[in-house]
Amino acid sequence: MSAKYEKQNPAFYVLIAILVFMSIGPVMLMFINSFKLDVDIISGTSGLLFLPTIQNYEKALCDVLWYEPEHVDFCSLKFGGAFINSLIIALISTFLTLVIGCMAAYALVRFRFMGRDTASLTTLMVRMVPPAVLLVPVFGLWNNEFCLDKEGLIGGLIRDTFGGRGDVCLAGTHSGIILIYVAMNLPFVIWILQSFIVQVPRSLEEAARVDGAGPFQVFFKVVLPLIKPGLAAAAIFTFRIAWNEYLLASALSDRNTKTVPILIVNNMSEFNVEWGVIMATGMLLAIPPIIFTLFASRQIITGMTAGAVKG
Amino acid sequence: MPTIHLENLIKRYGTVQVLHGVELEMADNEFTVLVGPSGCGKSTTLRMIAGLEDVSEGEIYVDGKPVSHLEPKDRDLAMVFQDYALYPHMNVAKNMSFALLLQKRPKAEIDRKVREVAATLGLTDYLGRKPGELSGGQRQRVAMGRALTRDAGIFLFDEPLSNLDAKLRGQMRAELALMSQRVQKNMVYVTHDQIEAMTLADRIVVMHGGYIQQQGSPKELFKKPVNKFVAGFLGMPPMNFLDGEITDTADGVFVSGDGFALKLEGEKAAAAKAHSSREVTLGLRPSDLVYDADAGAGRALQLDIIVSEYVGAQTVLLCKCGPANVVVEVNSQTPIALGQTLTFAANSAGVHLFDRHSEVAL
Repeated sequence: MSAKYEKQNPAFYVLIAILVFMSIGPVMLMFINSFKLDVDIISGTSGLLFLPTIQNYEKALCDVLWYEPEHVDFCSLKFGGAFINSLIIALISTFLTLVIGCMAAYALVRFRFMGRDTASLTTLMVRMVPPAVLLVPVFGLWNNEFCLDKEGLIGGLIRDTFGGRGDVCLAGTHSGIILIYVAMNLPFVIWILQSFIVQVPRSLEEAARVDGAGPFQVFFKVVLPLIKPGLAAAAIFTFRIAWNEYLLASALSDRNTKTVPILIVNNMSEFNVEWGVIMATGMLLAIPPIIFTLFASRQIITGMTAGAVKG
Repeated sequence: MPTIHLENLIKRYGTVQVLHGVELEMADNEFTVLVGPSGCGKSTTLRMIAGLEDVSEGEIYVDGKPVSHLEPKDRDLAMVFQDYALYPHMNVAKNMSFALLLQKRPKAEIDRKVREVAATLGLTDYLGRKPGELSGGQRQRVAMGRALTRDAGIFLFDEPLSNLDAKLRGQMRAELALMSQRVQKNMVYVTHDQIEAMTLADRIVVMHGGYIQQQGSPKELFKKPVNKFVAGFLGMPPMNFLDGEITDTADGVFVSGDGFALKLEGEKAAAAKAHSSREVTLGLRPSDLVYDADAGAGRALQLDIIVSEYVGAQTVLLCKCGPANVVVEVNSQTPIALGQTLTFAANSAGVHLFDRHSEVAL
């Protein structure tokens, strides 16, 4: 590339520097503090002059380490379990959202039925409801309504296998949290994917039909590969929301199904805020979305370079 | 190979009727071209044959069996689309073999078939490429290859050449003609380009406003158009139309108007005699007007040259004959000047007469 770059206004670079600092700054702060002792963090001796330690990480990861760090007398944090809970919940809810979302979007774009526009708009309206509003009704429903009687056939079977007391309810299960995340993210995913599906030329679908494909083959073999960039974008979006969500998960999870964000808050007590451990867990929490985003964004880029064939 | 029969085919979109009872019979191994201006219903007809549009009324028979209730895949046909409709995410080989894969044919057979077709179309080197990496002409070939690999009985073409530049279009037209000779299939081809229609078709079907105007061999339609629309649509440059009147005099039957009086001969005269003093439109193809300074009365037209377009061996002249515009072609060696009045001789065999109001040929 021998293109000559125009000289930019220096203010432009200043603006970029500020923006970069604003986005990277907190992450850097978290990264640095995660290697400090609580004493160093609280004493306010900010800066880079401190003795780095991995004690915070040892404490955060105490249940998955193969050795017992000597400074940890009791391993109260179950990072490993929470991490797996987070992964299960985020991945499954993302997967479900995409599967349901792409089919719903396809139907809304391509099929002509009564109330299509209304349906399309109402999906977005669901998105306008803030999660906090959902919290109380969902908590009530999950705990009291969506339950299987412990004397019943399935409920009894579950109680016999997994133990526990009371009726088998959605609250406190992975499924309960996954369900509400799917419902929360679906409208936006449908909305994104609609705009991608509209761009798939109709003649491609017609060609596939003439070639002998049934409706599902047309969708899975022709339409779906073409909206891959859209799926990737939607996946990133959904995964990150499901991964970071705190409010609903805090109400709907129990001891065994809590996710990492809730674990972090557990480090705050009335006597002490363990900033070091919070920072270390925060760093660990940030890794999966980064990996996921890198992986998914590659799909966006390959999708864009492949490009649709226009006449 | 199968025969196609369209019986009283009607298409409505809501209350708007776009096809008004199309009757058409397409024989074995025939290359049928549906031609007409845009909006005439030719593409709709083709898409109804393909099964991509519902039939509002009437029936489509393939080999005598009604098919209008069948899905496209059950109709044993292959189609080439105007925008080619190649699957952008599959390479050329996959594009061509998609139909066979869906039919779950053995892999060896699919491979053999794709290579065979690719070889005949000169696509062997491109089998691994994606459609986005091909030129327009190559994409066109892949689209054709996809239809050929399919090995269907009926081939449908929906304006397949309209996205190519003029030179490539000519080339692909020749290739298509060659292919249609080699592959003995029943082909239906839709175009708005009358040259494609004339060069490719065994049978041309001219459509206008949702009606079939005329069908027949290219020669038939060119020589004996049934109405003014067909006459004006086929042939390049298009036919000239002059308003006139038939007069039956002692010297013979004449058609005369502002600036001309042509004597009709033979059959034409006999036919026109019955319509004496009727208001008619005279149709004359540019090729039936010859520059001849010595043309005698009864054959001659005096034309004032307004515009001259030099196109190589020929010069196309736009002239005035009374109020009407007349296009003629002369050898470019002929010395001409704008504003000049030249005498042209009309070939009496090339005279077409139409009723001025109903526009039907007399």
